[in-house]
Formats: sequence, structure tokens, C-alpha cells
Amino acid sequence: MKREHQEAAAGGDRRGGGGGNWYAAAEQEKGKALMGTDDGVDELLAALGYKVRSSDMADVAQKLEQLEMAMGSSAAANDDALLAHLAFDTVHYNPSDLSNWVDNILSELNAPPPLPQPPPPPPADDPLSLQFDLPPAVTEQYTIGTVDLPDGSPCKPADVDELQPEASTASSGWLISQSGHQPEVAKSLRDRKRLKVCSSPPSSTITADAATAAAAQQVVIVDSQEAGIRLVHALMACAEAVQKENLKAAGAIVKQISVLAASQGGAMRKVAGYFAEALARRIYRPQPPRGMGCSSTVESAALDDMLHHHFYESCPYLKFAHFTANQAILEAFAGFRRVHVVDFGMRQGLQWPALLQALALRQGGPPSFRLTGIGPPQPDNSDALQEVGWKLAQLAKTIRVDFRYRGFVAASLADLDPYMLLGPEADGGGVEDDEPEVVAVNSILELHRLLARPGALEKVLGTIRAVRPVIVTVVEQEANHNGRAFLDRFTEALHYYSTMFDSLEGGASPPAAVEVGGHDQAMAEIYLGRQIYNVVACEGAERTERHETLPQWRARMSRTGFDSVPIGSNAFKQASMLLALFSGGEGYRVEENDGCLTLGWHTRPLIATSAWRAAGDPLSTSASCRTASS
Amino acid sequence: MMMLLLPHREEEEEGGAAGRRRFPINDNADLLAEVLGRLDGRSLAVAGCVCRLWSAVGRREAVWEAVCHRHVAVGRAGAAGGTRSVVAALGGYRRLYRLCIGPALDRLAGVRRQGPAVSSAARHVSLSLALSLFSIDCYERLGGVGGRQQQPPASLLFLCKPVDVS
Repeated sequence: MKREHQEAAAGGDRRGGGGGNWYAAAEQEKGKALMGTDDGVDELLAALGYKVRSSDMADVAQKLEQLEMAMGSSAAANDDALLAHLAFDTVHYNPSDLSNWVDNILSELNAPPPLPQPPPPPPADDPLSLQFDLPPAVTEQYTIGTVDLPDGSPCKPADVDELQPEASTASSGWLISQSGHQPEVAKSLRDRKRLKVCSSPPSSTITADAATAAAAQQVVIVDSQEAGIRLVHALMACAEAVQKENLKAAGAIVKQISVLAASQGGAMRKVAGYFAEALARRIYRPQPPRGMGCSSTVESAALDDMLHHHFYESCPYLKFAHFTANQAILEAFAGFRRVHVVDFGMRQGLQWPALLQALALRQGGPPSFRLTGIGPPQPDNSDALQEVGWKLAQLAKTIRVDFRYRGFVAASLADLDPYMLLGPEADGGGVEDDEPEVVAVNSILELHRLLARPGALEKVLGTIRAVRPVIVTVVEQEANHNGRAFLDRFTEALHYYSTMFDSLEGGASPPAAVEVGGHDQAMAEIYLGRQIYNVVACEGAERTERHETLPQWRARMSRTGFDSVPIGSNAFKQASMLLALFSGGEGYRVEENDGCLTLGWHTRPLIATSAWRAAGDPLSTSASCRTASS
Repeated sequence: MMMLLLPHREEEEEGGAAGRRRFPINDNADLLAEVLGRLDGRSLAVAGCVCRLWSAVGRREAVWEAVCHRHVAVGRAGAAGGTRSVVAALGGYRRLYRLCIGPALDRLAGVRRQGPAVSSAARHVSLSLALSLFSIDCYERLGGVGGRQQQPPASLLFLCKPVDVS
């Protein structure tokens, strides 16, 4: 009975208007489907997120009509006033309570909108007004959307129909914007002619109809793309507030970030979540003594290894690092009968089986291979380094490569001395001296930690030089997370980890591990999350994730007396093949950068492999000449 | 009993069975191995379901070695004998195909759109890459990687550790 009434009312009043017929039709369908179950909230609408009592349906429908009329008539408002109004005193109502929402909007529309002074944002004006127009207090659940000013004509059914596919394609395009992006955003608002529908299922025609045509002054429309931009702006504003030591403002914004992040999906939500939590730590506990991930403490060494292993399995960055470094080492070892590799980060030793196999099959037969592994102290005195050594020895025995192993526990690489690395040669007893032993030093994602303490890196590079290696392979993250200003670091890290998380989502899992693919990915995300905490929330000696870009590392290495060794085309081919196998080559890109190889996701390089040798060293230069000629 | 009918001339057909030469393939396992070695991996696995003899021949390392080499681009002329012993030590050619080469070929076949740089370098699975992956797999199987598995009890080396008998 009631439904027929409102259908008639809807059909009659809206004949001149737009989607009324559609609304009526939808209501009709719902009416047919919903027989006798409405003793309270309409269930179908509740499923969409709108709580409307069935008894109120007729009233709500009528008020929506009035709203449409009212909006249609106030099309005279010009753009600037609208945007200014939105900028400072937009009040947001929760449309899930539909009847109240409509009432509120109608009452506000009928009263002339006052334009009060914006309530002064908590102490600092500058960050908020500079960056974006996020109102200071958002108490409602919904995120802030925008509305634009169509040309005043009521929305035709054709438009409403077009809205649906657009809503469903509101993708999680991760628009990372610098602070200068704001004018573009404003312009795009003005230019758009149609309305974005909220991110709940696109069949929420009610909102579409209600908010059609002109200048609604208070709106709650959610668009996930808009919310994404808002999220980024909020993160940047919070970081800037933190940099200015304005912790109250930062604290307020951090809460909003979590709300905004909840409306996103996939990679964006996770990244925003990690960054928000790191910011919160930084705000509320400025000197965390032993926060999670702030420093790799002894207790977390085992956890670190486990997460590192999952990261290895779930994405190709570490595999790329291992394969390219192995190729460079293999080429440098060509022709030598006794070889020694020093690994600065032994962990599970996943890099070395491939090198052992390649040495076993090389022309001229395998050399005698010695491996020195360096690792952090373990919590329960378990000798993880020694176990890894045993396993590698077993493998080497099966493929008949002469193998010797030595493990060193060192809390920091700066504690090493050259004699430690070369030592066993002396006490090896009757080792014939006619065969020179050549040394390769391998460092995968280890050198950047040394930048936390001044002088540590120089000491380690000096140690490396003293060992006289024929090649030094260095793999580091390709990002600048060591800038002086917090805001710069934050921005860089946001770009970098967003790309990383995107690649985790987008890359296919390797064929052998499909069943544990989800598990690996989650652990890999935790691994990256710990890095994010360290970059954002820690300072001083505890901030060990001090990544630097390839040019910066190049400068450091040349300053300390190393020459670059170009990584050959074999490594490039192997890396390309590897990528094709493990991810179908969908988004990953291997690039060559002046003798170094980088792996990135689409256009952004994320990890870089480079090879070096000590400048002016007769042994290493002669070795490289032999490599070049063979 | 499988029969291979060799082509015969028309005139002999009216001679009946006497004119046909029968060659039961199952009487000659080496020839069977040669034939099976020319299949691709999936067909070879299917062929192993035919009968016990075919299953046994189809599991020969030599057959799988032929299959692997047929589907893999051998880069430089490596020492063939050396490769054989290394692969045998790591688990055998059949396992190599199952774990590394087969999935790689499937994945490469499934990739429809490739960038120009990728297609030339990555059209073939290279033997060295497959062997590297194989060695990593063998290493992980030795147990205890990432603390996910128990300590391998297979080694008696624990006896070398001093035992406190006080």
C-alpha cells in the first residue's frame, strides 16, 4: 500500500526530473522482493548501507523530491563560493540514516547557508591551509568527498546510467602527489561534469538521485579516488606537522588517516596503515626505547630471518639480487683455482647453492671454494650460522665441490677486522702458496645500516680494501631515505613503499609456492612494515634503514677508492629470464644503469646491484684483465 | 602387446598376414626409450601410464635427460658429463623437469604479451637458470630452512659432538 503510494508520488512528481522513473522502478523491484519483512528497517536498503525505516519510506521519498527541487533551483551559486564553502565549513552527515540526512540537508538548504568563520585549526594554521582543505574535525564515519557543479540541469536517466560503470571503475589508482598537486586537484573538481557515486555498491541509486543537479552545499559522497588523494594529503600534512614539532595537530590528523585508509583497498590501505602507525609512534612516543622494528635487537634476529625468507619467496627482488651478484662473482672468479667469498649477511645462505652449482659446472672444473659468513648474534645461543654452513657443506659434497666454511658472529659489520676475514689461511696448515686465493665480498642490503653511526661505513670499506678483493658486489635499495629533513624522507618512503606494495599485489607468485603464496605475501608485508617503522619512527643510531640511491653509493664508493666493474650482459639476460619466469614479466623491469643493474616495478627502480673492485690494486686489475680476455 | 605396423606395399596385402611385418615395440626397450625421449614432458608423463614397461622406461634418467635438453637452450658448451653428475646429485633430470623446466615452460607459454626486450631473451629457459633454481630447491630440501622444518635427523654427525656424561 505504502509502496504504491510512493511510486505514484515518485512517478508523478518526477516526470519532469531525471532518474525518478528509475528510482520508482527500483523501488518497485524492492517492493516485490520484500514482502512482509519490513517491520523496521528496510532490509534491502540496509544491505546497501542505508537505514531507512519502511514506515518512513514515503516521507523520505517525498523529501528527496523536495531536495532535488531545492538543489535545482540554487544553481546560481558560482564555483568559487562553492569551493570556498567546501573548503572551510563543510559539515558532513552520515547518509546511512537516510531520513535524518535528508531532513538535515533540506533544513540547511532552506536556511541561507551562513558561511561562518572556519573554526581555527589547532595551533598551527600553516600546515592545514597550505596543504589542503581537510576540515579540522570529522566526527562522522564517512570520508570526505567532493561534489562538483554540474550545469544545473537535473540528472537525466542517461547520466545516472553512466554513473554506474564509472563508480565501479573507481580504481585504487595510487596517486602519490607532491604538495604542489593541490591546484590540479581543484581544477579537476571544477572540470568534471558528472557526479561520483559513493563506493558502496553502485546500485545505490538513492544517493545518485538525491544529489543530482546543482550546488549541494553539504554533501557526503565517497569516491575512492578522491579519498585516495585525501589520504595522501593527510599523510603529508601529518608529516609536515611532525617536522614542525606540532604534535597536537599531527595527532589529530593521524586519527583521520586511519579513517581515510579504511575506505581504500589493497595496497593503499596497507601502506597507509603502516605509515599511520609509524607516525603515531613518532608522535606519542618520541624516543621509543626498543620499539618494534626500530632496531634489529637480538631477540628479533630470528624473526628477521624468517620474515626475510618469506620476502625472498614472495617477490623477485632478493632473487634478482642473488642471481646478478652470483653472475658477477662467477665472472670475476674465472680462471682461479682457489676462491673465497665473504658474505656480510649470511642469514639462510640462499644465495650460495646457485653459485656452488655454477662453479661445479664451469669450464675447467670447480675450484676449491671457501665461504665466510657473517651474521648477527642469535638470542638463544643457537648457532644458526654453523647450521647454514653444514647444509651448504652437504650440498657441496653431493656436487663434489671442495668446500670450507667459517661463520662469524658480529653485532655490527664495523666490528670486523681484516685479519678475521683472512685468518684461516694462515692456520690452514699445508696450504700451497702457488695458487693465489682470490676474495669476493658480497653485501646484500647490509651497507646502509652502517650509515647510522658516523665512521662505521668508512671503517668497513677500509676493511674490505685491506682484504684485497677481486670483486665487491653491493646490492642496495634504490631510494633516498636518508635525507636530513623528516618530510623529505617521509615523502620518498611513501613513494617507495607504495610501489613495493603494489608490486607485491600485482606480481604473480612463483609456480612452486602457489599454495603458500598468500602466507608469504603477508609476511613480506610485515617485513616491509618493519622497515617503514624504522624509517619514520626512529632517529639517530636506531634508524638503521638509511637507504641511499645508486648515484649516492657510487659517489661513496669512488671516494673510498673503488672502481666500478660493469655487470655484464649475461647477468642482464639471466635476470630478464628470471623475471619472465617468476612474474610473467608483467610489471617488473630490469634496467641497466651505467654498468649497474636495477630491478623496478613499472617505471620505478626499487633495488640496484653494482660491482666494484679496489682501484689500483695489481691483483684485482690483472684478474679483471683475464676475465675480459677469456 | 603394442604393434607398430610398418608401411607395406599394396601388392602384398592380398597375401594376408604373411605379407605384414610386425614389430612389437615392447620387445625393444632401448628403441622405446629413444622414441619416448623425443616427447615433451607432459606427453612423456602420460605415456608412463600406458603399461608397466612404458612406465619403467619412461622413468629412465636418460629419457628425461633427452627431454630436458630438447626443451632447454644450452648456453655455452658445458661439460656434458659434468652436468649429468651434478644433476644426478641434485635429484635427477626427472625432478629437474618437474620442478624447474616444466613450470617455466608453462609460464612462458602462458605469457601472451611481452615487451620487445623480454621476448628475445626469455623465449627459452636456459639450462643454467634451471640448474640454479634446482640447486636452491635441493638446498631447501635439506631441511631446516627458515626454521619451518625439523632438524634433519639423517646425519649421524651428532655423534661427533662431545657428550656430557658427568
